[in-house]
Amino acid sequence: MRGGRKQEKLLMDCVTENKESIYRLAYSYVKNKDDALDIVQDAIHKAFLSINKLQNKGSIKSWFYRIVVTTSLDFLRKHKHMHVMEDEILESFIPGQHDAYTNLDLAESIDDLPEKYRTVIILRFFEDMKIEDIAKVTQENVNTVKTRLYQALKQLRISLDEEQLKEVHHR
Amino acid sequence: MNERLDNMRKKYESIPVPEELDLVVKRAIKKRKNRRMRLQSLAGGAAASILLFTIVNTSPAFAAAISEVPVLGSIVKVITINEYTRKDESSEANIQTPAITNLDHPELEQTLNSKYAEENKKLYEAFEDEVKELEKKGKANMSLDSSYEIVTNTDRLLTLSRYVTTSAGSSGETITFDTIDKQEKIVITLPSLFKDDSYVQVISNEIKQQMKKQMQEDPGKVYWLNEEDSMTPFESISKDQSFYINANGKLVISFNEYEVAPGSMGLVEFIIPTETISDILTSHEYIK
Repeated sequence: MRGGRKQEKLLMDCVTENKESIYRLAYSYVKNKDDALDIVQDAIHKAFLSINKLQNKGSIKSWFYRIVVTTSLDFLRKHKHMHVMEDEILESFIPGQHDAYTNLDLAESIDDLPEKYRTVIILRFFEDMKIEDIAKVTQENVNTVKTRLYQALKQLRISLDEEQLKEVHHR
Repeated sequence: MNERLDNMRKKYESIPVPEELDLVVKRAIKKRKNRRMRLQSLAGGAAASILLFTIVNTSPAFAAAISEVPVLGSIVKVITINEYTRKDESSEANIQTPAITNLDHPELEQTLNSKYAEENKKLYEAFEDEVKELEKKGKANMSLDSSYEIVTNTDRLLTLSRYVTTSAGSSGETITFDTIDKQEKIVITLPSLFKDDSYVQVISNEIKQQMKKQMQEDPGKVYWLNEEDSMTPFESISKDQSFYINANGKLVISFNEYEVAPGSMGLVEFIIPTETISDILTSHEYIK
């Protein structure tokens, strides 16, 4: 039981320290303030509810981020039938706004990326998470995470040189 | 490391964080604390401090004078034995303790009534502690409401539910049931209804199917059924899962908030069709 309390304290600290970052992460999926706040709240509830089941392996942070990601994806899944069109997306339908040869496999911003690619880009480059921690968040193996990173970078037309790629893996 | 990536990062970091975030996070954490308080207070167990309640309990005249709720169609009565209220600027509590009378079995009555009194005593003690703690830091802004309801009352069965609703910013609710066989003077437990432990699996499977169906039919419904829905997807009911038998003689399985679904779903219940469990029931006395 003591261990449980200690875990709770750690979780409380983790939540408080990273609240802005988890909010942005949630926002990057749902694209609006109210839903992002709901997800933050729900994720915190879920985390406290299952903290006892967390084996003391790995960091609480990647575990908690996983809850935020799954809660966000769950939300999207439940609400896919009522997508709200963002101005940016609407604009993309107006002729002349884009190159005539827009390639569907290319992404202008991370918002255009499929969710699984977006997640790895955000966690790796914006949240500075290690590949192995990202693997814990997404529940994929390290190689899958790497592949997704490459694919995502490719779609964003970002080419990194050897040196930078090394950094991607080891930083 | 790359200009394009840097720009994207800057854009990401410039997502404005609303002022409410602080409050939302604080509330969510605080709510967790309340939950712990509730779980502790509902833990039960014998203690020395029930004297006050015992006096009230053993004095039917006094108890009846407080309040009386006759249960129709039966001699057994459920009365409010004790009412505790507290209200000030920032906190409010209202706890009603039920007591069962005229069951014609003093030991069983006493056991149940002491349990109710004991649990509610702990509940308000924990509440007062929590309020004091919060008042040190400013206003408490807490409320607690606990009362009871008669869920089922047939010639044979009486089900009494007791609920606790707390709110500190956001709210939470838990509920417990006691089902009594008025003829045999026994409290019915879930395992006692079945021949063996296989009911855990049978009922769990039935609930999973119902969850799936409900989610398909109504996208607004969310249960934590799969890995991708939750860190702790619903796997199985516990051996002594909350339950009651409704007036139609159907078994109803109940879950507290956050047990199998997000808070927005509240308390959830599943009616188990009798044919699914027919083979493993000890008898069809209660469940029809």
